Amino acid sequence: MASLAALALPLAKVGEVGKDFFHERSSETLSCQANPDKLFCFEWAKDNIDRYGTPTVQHIELVAISILAGFAVAFALALLAHRHHWLRTPLLAGTGALYTVPSVAFFFLLLPLTGRGRDTAIIALSAYTLQIIYRNTMTGLANVPASVKDAGRGMGLTGRQLLWRVELPLATPEIVAGLRIATVSTVALATLAVFAGGGGLGDPIYDHITFTTNIILAGGIAMLMAIAFDLILLGIQRLATPWLRAARGQA
Amino acid sequence: MPSAVRYENATKRYGDSTTAAVDRLNLEVAAGEICVLVGPSGCGKTTAMRLVNRTVELSEGDVLIGGESVRERDPARLRRETGYVIQQIGLFPHRTIAENVATVPQLLGWKKDRIAARTTELLALVGLDPELGGRYPAQLSGGQQQRVGVARALAADPLVMLMDEPFGAIDPINRERLQNEFLRLQAEIGKTVLFVTHDIDEAIKMGDRIAVMREGGRVAQYATPAELLMDPADEFVEDFVGADRALKRLALMRVSDISLWEAPLAHVGQATAEVRAKLRGAEVPYPLLVDSERRPLGWLSERDLAAETVPAQPDSPLGPLLDLDDVMRDALADLLQGEAQYAAVADRSGRIAGVLSVEIISEFLASPAAKTEEHGAVERPHD
Repeated sequence: MASLAALALPLAKVGEVGKDFFHERSSETLSCQANPDKLFCFEWAKDNIDRYGTPTVQHIELVAISILAGFAVAFALALLAHRHHWLRTPLLAGTGALYTVPSVAFFFLLLPLTGRGRDTAIIALSAYTLQIIYRNTMTGLANVPASVKDAGRGMGLTGRQLLWRVELPLATPEIVAGLRIATVSTVALATLAVFAGGGGLGDPIYDHITFTTNIILAGGIAMLMAIAFDLILLGIQRLATPWLRAARGQA
Repeated sequence: MPSAVRYENATKRYGDSTTAAVDRLNLEVAAGEICVLVGPSGCGKTTAMRLVNRTVELSEGDVLIGGESVRERDPARLRRETGYVIQQIGLFPHRTIAENVATVPQLLGWKKDRIAARTTELLALVGLDPELGGRYPAQLSGGQQQRVGVARALAADPLVMLMDEPFGAIDPINRERLQNEFLRLQAEIGKTVLFVTHDIDEAIKMGDRIAVMREGGRVAQYATPAELLMDPADEFVEDFVGADRALKRLALMRVSDISLWEAPLAHVGQATAEVRAKLRGAEVPYPLLVDSERRPLGWLSERDLAAETVPAQPDSPLGPLLDLDDVMRDALADLLQGEAQYAAVADRSGRIAGVLSVEIISEFLASPAAKTEEHGAVERPHD
């Protein structure tokens, strides 16, 4: 009985997001929409482009904060597991389990705990990044050649020095690869933050869900954002690994 | 002279296994010597080497470096005082060559310009263009990488060098070059080196003293290369050294080490009657044609001697021309290759010094003089 009552509150909140949610909110678009064959209404786009300003900024904030938080946690977990081998499997399983929770359900499960708003969205989005960042960091560390570690230790580097001066720098490509995957998928997932009341590009999308121009604009911005983040991270990776560039140049 | 490294009943047991990987090893390495640990795979030679810098921890017993127990040192600090060169080289891929070489000096807190000077000095010492300092390891060949590995190990002027099959991953041509260069380097700097290999030929070439090990790191024989080849302690050592140990001894000698035979010399235009007179009772039954500077030109045949005077063009070509400085094994190889019975030996200025033949070599090997020969490290042939 108690568990049913516990479920009642979040379900009530779901009720607020009722069947009207998906209906056309305003009539402005109706004139352009009247022609069903028209895929993209340029006029409307030109006039209404600034509607997407705030949602875009919100979206960037959602992604940036979630990635930073997710990276901080996943990286710390990876360092722990690197030191204490027995943690590897449980942590991999744990982060994986978080990843399997469907996004919208995750938001709703958090609602009674953290309420509606950006924080809820960020918690869920960060949780999704954990597995890929954790796994890639572990893989990167595992791929450091044993001979390099042997030589490093044999020369007198302490465990900590070896980790920070040798292992982590060499694991950078894999770690950044994980960050890139996490970032691109977070950009996509953040469009669902609207269900948690978190803002972002999901807001305009669901405001006019049947208006194709709107979808194309909001979706297009999200895609460009994902590509931009990806390229920035790729640039960071290239800058951080000059030795790979040298090897490539030689090949 | 105090030993640089001393094993005292050093033992290593893994887990709760009853058999020891290294079982009560007692060994003394003198300062400035290359001590080679050689033996079949799994005999514990690498483990024994690693006990010195604590990359493998002792189970029982002790290892002393310069009289000080390794157990009493902090492992990281200890390792900064021992050079470490491994087979897979293990250069840091993300650091330049110069940064790799500077690793230990940096750990020790040296000043930047001291490090830079030392790096340039070391790269030159191992035969690398100091300009390579700015490159990354992936841009160097395997042989070059291992030279950097050696330079890196020498950077902080360690007390002891530990080398675990350092040239094992290099192709044979470069391996020989690296071995020779390391020996030359060693002649200059005189480090105490513990060198592990499974290759008996490398052991004989590199070692001042060789410890032949069997399972459990047990030393079957600890001797100089010459002693090992002439007097193997038991069947194990004999088998390990190989059935061709007589030939191996030749690698330790130079042509100048034995007394050569004399061939009767002939000059162009000389009366053949004179030459024939010299032939009677000569050690070598063929006259050798030489020029005015006594440089060998060729061998004279019966047909040449049929004429009145010695012709300018001898019937037989000179064939292999050996040098007094040649390693005996290479000289024998040249003799056999040239399918010649006799080969002229010249000195550094090209003048005839004598004649070598297979007979001379085998006579010498069997003689008591050869058995008492001492071959010091400095005189070891290594070109």
